[in-house]
Amino acid sequence: MAENTVEETRRGRPLLEVDDVAVHFGGVKAVDGITLELRAGHIYGVLGPNGSGKSTLLGAMTRLTPMTRGSFVFEGNDYTRRPARTVHHMGIARTFQTVRLLDDRSVRDNILLGQDTLAKAGRKDADARVDEVMERVGVTAVARMRPDELSYGMQRRVEFARAIIGRPRLLLLDEPTAGMNSSEREEIGALMKQLLDEGITQFIVEHDVQMMVDTCDYLFAMNFGKLIAEGTPAAVVKHPAVQEAYLGKGAGTHA
Amino acid sequence: MSDWYSMNVVLIQTTLTTLLLALSIQVPLRYGVFSFAGVGAFGIGGYTGAMAMVHGEWSTWPAVLLGTLVAGVCTFLLGLVVQRLTGLYMGMATIAFTLIISVLAVNGGDWTGGAMGLYGAIGEITTMHIVLAVLIVVAFLAWTEYGRRGRKVDTVREDPELANALGIDVNGYRRLSFLISGLIGGLAGAITTLLRSTITPSEVNFHLVILALTAIVVGGARSWVGALIGAVIFVWLPTFLSFVQEWEKVAYGFIVAVAAIYLPNGVLGVVKDLWHKSRTRDERARVAVGLQEKS
Ligand SMILES: Nc1ncnc2c1ncn2[C@@H]1O[C@H](COP(=O)(O)OP(=O)(O)OP(=O)(O)O)[C@@H](O)[C@H]1O
Ligand SMILES: [Mg+2]
Repeated sequence: MAENTVEETRRGRPLLEVDDVAVHFGGVKAVDGITLELRAGHIYGVLGPNGSGKSTLLGAMTRLTPMTRGSFVFEGNDYTRRPARTVHHMGIARTFQTVRLLDDRSVRDNILLGQDTLAKAGRKDADARVDEVMERVGVTAVARMRPDELSYGMQRRVEFARAIIGRPRLLLLDEPTAGMNSSEREEIGALMKQLLDEGITQFIVEHDVQMMVDTCDYLFAMNFGKLIAEGTPAAVVKHPAVQEAYLGKGAGTHA
Repeated sequence: MSDWYSMNVVLIQTTLTTLLLALSIQVPLRYGVFSFAGVGAFGIGGYTGAMAMVHGEWSTWPAVLLGTLVAGVCTFLLGLVVQRLTGLYMGMATIAFTLIISVLAVNGGDWTGGAMGLYGAIGEITTMHIVLAVLIVVAFLAWTEYGRRGRKVDTVREDPELANALGIDVNGYRRLSFLISGLIGGLAGAITTLLRSTITPSEVNFHLVILALTAIVVGGARSWVGALIGAVIFVWLPTFLSFVQEWEKVAYGFIVAVAAIYLPNGVLGVVKDLWHKSRTRDERARVAVGLQEKS
């Protein structure tokens, strides 16, 4: 199965195909016809002003948010109608825009949850694996503490660890460095690149344009639920529609 | 020792059966399901066990087993019907289930003995038997609270959407909680009934919900240990409170109110917090120093 995937990627089969996905909340078209493709071995970024539908798109991709139309295909399997819980088993992990940890469980337990539902093979050497992951995101010293005793930046690291412990093939991150200082951001950026080398493709929603340009090798830009640009970071940042929507010209109140 | 035992045998047995009842209410709460169906299961288990003995001339343990299973199946089916309800609506529906059971008991004619109840289900049950039954239940629940399983159950309760995103079958767990609650409630009802040799419709009532809830609130809702602490406190309290006489109910209310306000996770929660604090003293000191250095 895993070999197949590698083979398919080599032949150019996309990791994730998103086709004409829309999510409407009553009259609000939060996501309105998004079509995109993610190939294995890249870090993708998504830019867009507040309320442009980035988080809703992640919600639809993970099947947590019911969608109005469209389809998702991961590694050749259409999972548009499968229940949300199967998405994690397929190899897609995510973090949320707000911190969502169990406050009466230790940091270590919270991270272990990321692999608790995987098949036996995915859970072997869980103890060694959790130690390794904690070391990488820098939470080893607080392993036995509870999330509500930690700073916001530390809590985000714990969420990051929970998302990667199960070795997903696609990692969806919703503002992973929000609330972190610049040195912490650099650390997380470096970690993302390391993960890429280990075969984890990433799809990152972030407001920090500089970080996205430094970290990602392909960017999407959204506004009003639609894609307004995609391409290399340099090209997307310079794109007039993006400049208009996201970087200024009356949009300064956003972001 | 044996003197003390023979003087208190009724209290000891009541503690154990109260623990089972409290556990049948605690399990769904631990899975994030606001269900009181355990009390209805208590009635089903009690009546089924008694009917099997009185009408079917079954012996004690097959009758207990039948009561347990019938209660488990009925409660599980109830779970399938009400699983889409949330919060208060779920609570109301499951209390209605309990009321229906007692109405059926009143109108069951010779089968249930009507309003007078069913007499003569003289079970051969010793304290040792009850201890064994409780041990089996507690061992199973401890297993569900431990390690991987415990983490998953906690996530289902605290954040169902997150649980889904982590690949946990939230609805499956919720349905399972009805089954477990029904089995334990049925066991509690069957044992209690055959121990006393009688059951009446008025026993299957809202006061059992209150008894179970107070035990859980004061003891702790997150673990079987909390239910044990609560059951011990509320069964033995009257013997220590006898000096306040008619003020006993007031003292009860006071204890519950204080626990609800100051011990949100019950007595067990306080013990766990203290244990956690002492265990992580070094870590917390280091984090505090780290924060100071940064600022
Ligand atoms: N459950 C919901 N019900 C109704 N409207 C919603 C819901 N979730 C999101 N929306 C609306 O959909 C739009 C897109 O929201 P979304 O959270 O996806 O934006 P975003 O791009 O992630 O913004 P931000 O940068 O602030 O996180 C907003 O107008 C929001 O108010
Ligand atoms: Mg968002």
